[in-house]
Amino acid sequence: MTDSLPTKQVFTKGTKTYSLVEIVKAPLTMVEKGPDHTLFAFPIVAILELLLTLGMTLALLIFSLFKNAPLEELANPLVTTDPAKAPWYFMGLQELLEHMHPTLAGVILPALVVLFLIAIPYIDQDRTHAGKWFSTPRGKRITLFSAIYTAAAMPLFVILSSMFPPRELFRGVLPDLLTQSVIPGAVLFTLALLPALWLIVAQRKQTNTREVMLALFTVFIVAAAVFTLTGFLFRGPGFKLYLPWNMPNGYNPFDGL
Amino acid sequence: MTTLINFVTHSRLWRSFFRHGMPDNPLDRSLVMTTNIFFHLHPVKVNVKSIRAGYSMGLGVITLAAFISLTITGVLLMFYYVPSVERAFVNIVDLQTKVPFGQLLRNLHRWGAHLMVLITVLHMARVFYTGAYKPPREFNWGVGVILLILTLGASFTGYLLPWDQLSFWAITVGTSIASYEPFMGPIIKKILLGGPEVGQESLIRFYALHIMIIPLFMALLISLHLWRVRKDGGLAANEVKD
Ligand code: HEM
Repeated sequence: MTDSLPTKQVFTKGTKTYSLVEIVKAPLTMVEKGPDHTLFAFPIVAILELLLTLGMTLALLIFSLFKNAPLEELANPLVTTDPAKAPWYFMGLQELLEHMHPTLAGVILPALVVLFLIAIPYIDQDRTHAGKWFSTPRGKRITLFSAIYTAAAMPLFVILSSMFPPRELFRGVLPDLLTQSVIPGAVLFTLALLPALWLIVAQRKQTNTREVMLALFTVFIVAAAVFTLTGFLFRGPGFKLYLPWNMPNGYNPFDGL
Repeated sequence: MTTLINFVTHSRLWRSFFRHGMPDNPLDRSLVMTTNIFFHLHPVKVNVKSIRAGYSMGLGVITLAAFISLTITGVLLMFYYVPSVERAFVNIVDLQTKVPFGQLLRNLHRWGAHLMVLITVLHMARVFYTGAYKPPREFNWGVGVILLILTLGASFTGYLLPWDQLSFWAITVGTSIASYEPFMGPIIKKILLGGPEVGQESLIRFYALHIMIIPLFMALLISLHLWRVRKDGGLAANEVKD
């Protein structure tokens, strides 16, 4: 026990014992919440965090016991591997390089993606429904629709662009700038923006910023997954398209993880 | 048993470590949180909504756990690894064949790195779809984006270190993507690789980035990130009105 202070001596009559220091505009976590909404963080939060850490470690340990990390021969600058692939999380970019000019695929698009990600919360400022999955049932439908649309449109883009590459089709007819940058870039952008444009134009009355963001982000993340999987799983020797279970020369995409 | 626990938790030794008693009552449960460095990022009381599994799915915590695990296995690997084109590959082979649990150590570090990239992306998707980036969390979302880039950078720089065919060609392909930028590209590539192609200079640069520079920045930004979660009023689930 701490010794209780003799209050009377410290606060003589008439002393103001409080003052308004600052008005904080931050959200008050506890506003409009009764005490029944809360729990003591100890021990429940500590237990949950411990369980998550142990679960992650255990899963990793079991996987590591059964599957060894790959190691090929000593690096040799004179012998190119076929295919030569970047690590899997950059395979989306390497896949894009097959379809358009390197500056567009390797520099402009990644830069736009990072800018878009950082800009999201500065464009969508409305705090209603923050903390709720997909915000509203309509938001959930928009997400689902955008995901299905992208999962169909992007593989189509890959296949068509591989079968009829504009660079080959219009060789000598149109300048490289058009065939390698403008045409593939315009097609990809149109495909990517279609769901958002549809919301903004056709559904103008019902649509809010959050829903446009849901469409844009979903297209981005599903497209990234499609390009990454295509590059990682479906590209074989010569960086040509194959079915993953039908690779020539015994090439197995998973050996390169 | 109770008397033993009481004896221990009231001893001078225990009291010099912990400034609270057995946390089985409201006062001591509060003191655990406010007087312990590992807990002080948490509030004393939490909203039930924010700890529901279906909200955050624990993905941020799992990312953090992966980062800590990678730090531990990475430091252990440093006891064996030498960043030299003559020795790196031989070191890895020796680690796998001669060092007890060496292969397991390398497996844990490599699969852990892939896992962390994957879980970080999932965490970002969770934050986006729950609308948890909205004000006042816009800054912390930005910190997150930088953390994602650093995570990719850490993984990419580590890829070169075994110095086998896989590393060499993956980094050759990866850095050539960077060099496509018409103005800065060749310079960026030269700064990264230390020469016209992947060689000893690149290995030592990737090594320094991988074991020191990137992890240091990540530790700093993760601290900032977690502190901001608390300062922004805990998880966004708290704001949902019933
Ligand atoms: C090294 C990588 C990262 C670590 C260790 C990390 C860790 C965490 C942790 C532990 C939380 C608490 C809630 C939870 O467990 O989900 C959290 C929340 C949050 N994270 Fe991350 N994070 C990382 C990357 C990211 C990324 C890439 C983004 C987004 C681009 C992000 C944005 C946020 C935001 C906005 C919150 C608040 C969420 C809410 O209020 O519901 N973080 N992070």
